[in-house]
Amino acid sequence: MRLSAAQITKHFGHRAIVKNANLTINSGEVVVIFGPNGAGKTTFIKILATLLRPTSGELEIEGNDAIADYAAARSLLGVVVHEHLAYPTLSAFENLKFFGQMYGIEHLETRCKSLLDEVGLQRFVHEPLHIFSRGMTQRFMIARALLHNPSILLLDEPFSGLDAAAKQFVQKRIAQERENGKGILITTHNTELGYLVGTRFLFMINGDLEEIAEKNEISEEDLLQRYEERSIDTA
Amino acid sequence: MKALRQIATLIRKDIGLQFRSKETLALIFVFSILVVLIFAFAFGPNFPLEKSERGKLTASVLWAAFVFAGIITLNRSFVIERTHGALHGIRLTGVDASNVYLSKVVSNLVFLLLLEIVITPIALQFFDLFDDITVVVLLKLFGVMSIGTLGFCAVGVLLAGMSTSTDGGESLLSVILLPLVIPIIMGGTKCTVSILVTGGLENRFWLGLLIGSSLVFLASAYLLADAVIEE
Repeated sequence: MRLSAAQITKHFGHRAIVKNANLTINSGEVVVIFGPNGAGKTTFIKILATLLRPTSGELEIEGNDAIADYAAARSLLGVVVHEHLAYPTLSAFENLKFFGQMYGIEHLETRCKSLLDEVGLQRFVHEPLHIFSRGMTQRFMIARALLHNPSILLLDEPFSGLDAAAKQFVQKRIAQERENGKGILITTHNTELGYLVGTRFLFMINGDLEEIAEKNEISEEDLLQRYEERSIDTA
Repeated sequence: MKALRQIATLIRKDIGLQFRSKETLALIFVFSILVVLIFAFAFGPNFPLEKSERGKLTASVLWAAFVFAGIITLNRSFVIERTHGALHGIRLTGVDASNVYLSKVVSNLVFLLLLEIVITPIALQFFDLFDDITVVVLLKLFGVMSIGTLGFCAVGVLLAGMSTSTDGGESLLSVILLPLVIPIIMGGTKCTVSILVTGGLENRFWLGLLIGSSLVFLASAYLLADAVIEE
């Protein structure tokens, strides 16, 4: 098991944003959490990424207590969230090189160039991030998340704001990383793409995480129907 | 070794970013020169004052300029980190928060020392003290300023890390930082006056206060860095 979260709760003030959430991610699995805006998906993924401390609960990453020893856990995670997690005035290559030096990656320049090639940014290697389109930024962020070859990928709304080509790229890359044995978590409200890439599905509505089904147990139509019913029920 | 490598990488990145945009550097240099000029126009162009009075005036102007330029530098150094979540990116590399803190102290110290090296001779010239200053006195002056700046950055980096994570944090920093650095400003100003007027330190108490408070701030802020950067 790559990641295990038990009874994760997060309060902001008196408001519970995530309520007793339980989740496991195994090797070669793409877990997709569907939920409307404001459901608590981003907060939950930030907790799993150790960027936010939960109010209560337990988090284990590759068997280590990620709440007590978050530094060790972080090097096992590749994270894509809404923020760039990088410096907009530095080029894509400079950003990767800087973060690679922080991770202590060997043969760094070769690694950065090959990653930028893989994500289709070879023509923009030396351009600063602030001139990148949404799709190019997302490609860069995927390269950044894969830089240190993590065993777990946490992707918050990876399809959001992307055109068809960029969506297809992200979708292919997720499939490729799954084949490489990574455990992947995706949050999205796009049921069509989520169903396409996912192997197991959950809903998060108003902070409650609900296990729905494995892919072979549910059709896309049924998933969409259940999601709409749940969203309407709690709206 | 890993920690040292990470600190060096962070310092190189901070200095590289600041020199690339030149935004902060331009801002603090223009601000400090303006402070010197305003006081020079108000009291000049001829200075009938005694050397001791000119020494007091110069020390006040220099420390006022450095403290407020320092607040600008500290704020900017964390705004860069927070705007697009770069600080989260750094945290995700598994680096110890205290190493991030130390790198910020060093990079801010470098900027402010650079400012002091440029602005101090200009102020001495404007306040008619330049001809009285020897190289040894100038070195003593920079020694005192370096200790004061280290203490200022030590506590300032910690508070900037806290304040920039809140709305309106840039103005909050000056409110929470200035009362805390009073011992540094007192010690630094008194030592600067003494060096400018007599060429040495007449009363060691102020130097002790300056060194003591700088070290206490550095040690306590280092211990608190994890809580500030991680929360």
